[in-house]
Amino acid sequence: MQRTVRRKQGLDLSLIYKVFGAILFIYLFLGFMVLPCLNTLTSIFTTKDAAGNADPMAVIRFFFAGNMPSFVVNSLKLAVCLVVTVNVVGISIVLLTEYFDIKGAKILRLGYMTTLIYSGVALVTGYQFLYDSNGMLTQWLVGMFPNMNKQWFSGFSAVLFTMTFACTSNHALFLRNAIRGIDYNTVEAARNMGAKPFKVLLKVVMPTLLPTLFSLTVMTFITGLCAMSAPTLLGYNSINPEIVRLAGSSVADEAFPQARAALLSIILALFTIVLLTTLNHYEKKGHYLSVSKTKAKLVKQKIQSPVWNVLAHIYAYVLFAIYMTPVVMIVLFAFQNWPAIKAKSLNVSSWTLINFFGTQDYSFTTSRGKTKLREGVISGVFSNADTVGGIRLSFVLSALAAALACVIVVVAVNYIFKHRNKKRAAIVEACLLFPWLLPTILICYSFRTFFNGEVWYVLGQNLYYRENVRFLIVMAYTVVKLPFALRMVKAAFYAIDDELEDAARNLGASQLVTFLRVKLPIVLPSVLAVFALNFNALFTEYDMSATFHSSYGKSYAMVIQSMTAEEGRDGYNMNGSGRRCASTVFIMLVSGLILYLVYGVGARDLGERLERRKKRRERWERLTGKGKAA
Amino acid sequence: MADLRAKQPKGVKLDHISKIYKDPKTGKDFYAVHDVDLSIEPGTFVTLLGPSGCGKTTTLRMIAGFESPDEGEIYLGGEPINSLTPNKRDTAMVFQSYALFPHYNVFDNVAYGLRLRKVPKAEIQQRVTDILALVELSGMEQRMTNQLSGGQQQRVALARALVVEPGVLLFDEPLSNLDAKLRVQMRTEIRRIQQALGITAIYVTHDQSEAMAISDNIILMKKGVIAQMGSPTEIYYRPNSEFVADFIGECNFLKGSIASAGAGQAAVRIAGVDVPVATEKSVRVGEAGEIVLRPEAIVIGDTGLLPCRVELSCFMGSYQNYHVRVGDTLVKITDNCPINKKVFKVGDSAYISFDKNCAHLL
Repeated sequence: MQRTVRRKQGLDLSLIYKVFGAILFIYLFLGFMVLPCLNTLTSIFTTKDAAGNADPMAVIRFFFAGNMPSFVVNSLKLAVCLVVTVNVVGISIVLLTEYFDIKGAKILRLGYMTTLIYSGVALVTGYQFLYDSNGMLTQWLVGMFPNMNKQWFSGFSAVLFTMTFACTSNHALFLRNAIRGIDYNTVEAARNMGAKPFKVLLKVVMPTLLPTLFSLTVMTFITGLCAMSAPTLLGYNSINPEIVRLAGSSVADEAFPQARAALLSIILALFTIVLLTTLNHYEKKGHYLSVSKTKAKLVKQKIQSPVWNVLAHIYAYVLFAIYMTPVVMIVLFAFQNWPAIKAKSLNVSSWTLINFFGTQDYSFTTSRGKTKLREGVISGVFSNADTVGGIRLSFVLSALAAALACVIVVVAVNYIFKHRNKKRAAIVEACLLFPWLLPTILICYSFRTFFNGEVWYVLGQNLYYRENVRFLIVMAYTVVKLPFALRMVKAAFYAIDDELEDAARNLGASQLVTFLRVKLPIVLPSVLAVFALNFNALFTEYDMSATFHSSYGKSYAMVIQSMTAEEGRDGYNMNGSGRRCASTVFIMLVSGLILYLVYGVGARDLGERLERRKKRRERWERLTGKGKAA
Repeated sequence: MADLRAKQPKGVKLDHISKIYKDPKTGKDFYAVHDVDLSIEPGTFVTLLGPSGCGKTTTLRMIAGFESPDEGEIYLGGEPINSLTPNKRDTAMVFQSYALFPHYNVFDNVAYGLRLRKVPKAEIQQRVTDILALVELSGMEQRMTNQLSGGQQQRVALARALVVEPGVLLFDEPLSNLDAKLRVQMRTEIRRIQQALGITAIYVTHDQSEAMAISDNIILMKKGVIAQMGSPTEIYYRPNSEFVADFIGECNFLKGSIASAGAGQAAVRIAGVDVPVATEKSVRVGEAGEIVLRPEAIVIGDTGLLPCRVELSCFMGSYQNYHVRVGDTLVKITDNCPINKKVFKVGDSAYISFDKNCAHLL
């Protein structure tokens, strides 16, 4: 078949944009994804022996000869145990609030969902505040049982306990949606055919939840494997903290630390790739979707046996107490002064806002018996230079990275949709999903080591040096958040009717105008939601911050971590506990606001949003009198 | 009100255009549109009609510029437009899904094309008001598109296309999302507005009754090629193939052999009876002949041309529906206004007859 006529195309502006875009994309992909990670991989095999001769297998031998496998085993142990505990607690909280008729389910649900706004380093330090050797609960228990071990909350059990309750957020969101999607007629049909309530739960309800549970299990396993903040703060030797430790070590201290860190991160990456591939394969099989045209809403099941009913209620409220106690205590202590916090006693007379605003002097007696005064060392979150610096840095870096990820993804998704069913679109998508396969620590470690020297394609700069590290953090944040942004923005683009673009073009709009004035306004709410969620996740992000931690890159999470250090000695870290509590309240407020904006305001459909905007404008015009004037 | 007839309509010429796609399964090239060659006069309403996959939408999208022809050239108002991007072509399209911008209200949707053309604000206001009056949507300027009914959305889409005064108005199955009653109402509206403005319109549909109702000319397509072009009457009464006859309305095919042939008429021997039929084709005695007969053109009675046996007799309200057997052939008959007429029952013997001008020799 001969194609005799083709559209004439001159060297127009759009071609220049395309070439420029392609070059930029390749530069970013190779420069900030492939090359740093390849460098990590190759660094494993470029070790040298004491004589300076190349010994490619040295680190592998070291791995099997030394204690390195224990870090892998510890991580695996944590991941496996976490899968069990998180699923038990996660399934419990969903069944108790959505499936069984438990009194006060709405309140219980709120309690179980606190981990959505109270997570990460804030949660771990909150648990420490309550349970560590000086923790309020520990002190209370020691008062009752003087012989008990004050250090009970440390190591594996503390990490497992903390992470179990920190990791049920996904169950609270996704398993809840899955159980709500069950057609109640299927439950009634099973009952009608003679199945007992427990049998219905086991044979009808649970099988439909299995695909969701499988995904949650894989994600939990990966979370356990890549755990960072809890093992670091609570003292557990797993892979991630060891990688960060080795990254900061030198050959003068121990044998080839960089290569060992690289090996551990590659091991982590291999586990992640295998797990995600399994998950992907399983997801492709599809889910059990109800084929019912008239789906009935799930009706809560009353537990018929009084004994089981009481036990279920007790279980529900014990879980509620575990979830809520740290939150309530942290909030209450955020408004107590330093002596009250130190004494772990709540008192109305100790009420203060000093943990948030303002400063106080602190006088203390030295070992030589002299009284010294440290001016203004008792300070609040927003009056402590270190904390404000951390908040400001995290705010700027997170906002920049979240915005950059959104811009890259929106432009890329627009391209992907324009060239769908073509190989180049699939390649662009695969490139953006690439970081999903790699553990965050591998990306960050690769960045840290690769850019800790002059790199020709970043103008010969050392990006780990002084202020440059902030750029490196932004790039790492961006790379890590690309896959999530891609999945969300792509879903938003699916909602755009193809004919809208055709209509705009047909009415005379250029491709750029069509993109800016038709497509972008439609996907903008989703893009803003992605921006907000990414910002929320990055603002108190710990894993990456710990990897890039330096005096020029001390993010908010690292500031919070430093607040856990011993307080008061020679006036050092004064009121760290107070600022920690206040920081947690501040983080909960920020997260709560963002989640409200995304899932509350953002969940409204376009018509509703526009109507509200119109009403707001009318109200404003009435207030300012502009409407009358018009 | 401004003069909505201000602009001259343009003619469209498709000069042997073809569109080649790759079959995703086999990887082989195939013609979605093959050697389509036609001219559309300015101010006429032309419908591209055909079953799914016949190439009608591809042809329309090539005119709009969303697809580029692999062979041939498209002319708009005498100018070749193959190299022009969609936004540079003097066309406006009404889409199947209406494609109304959800973030704009009715006014902004309609004004969109005018703003891109940098029309002064006052003129935009005037023209949008006028066009909304034409489509009977005055007073709804500030409504969001999700606050409109399907019919109103359709009118907005039409207004948005009309307001830019395109040389050619394109419709891609615009009524397929409406219910049956509204569809009939809207097609009448579209035809009224097209005639009022004298604009050239190209309309894509697979609904033959819609095509018949609104078109000056119908282009019937099959597997990427034009099967027949002509007025609705020509297409209906003078189909050039079994496909065309069968696609447009219900019809009966009576097969036989040419018994005699003369100037402007011939006789086809069917079941031993010579059936007279008007034809302009030159036929020879003895060769096979096939008559196309519309069900409503056949009269059933106690006497007539061809004997038959009734196999189905069904009262349908405005007509009596018969299936009768003539020789081996099943013939469908629509006997309009059956009241005060003899109603034949299943198993009855009868005769069918018809006007020779209503029968068409393929």
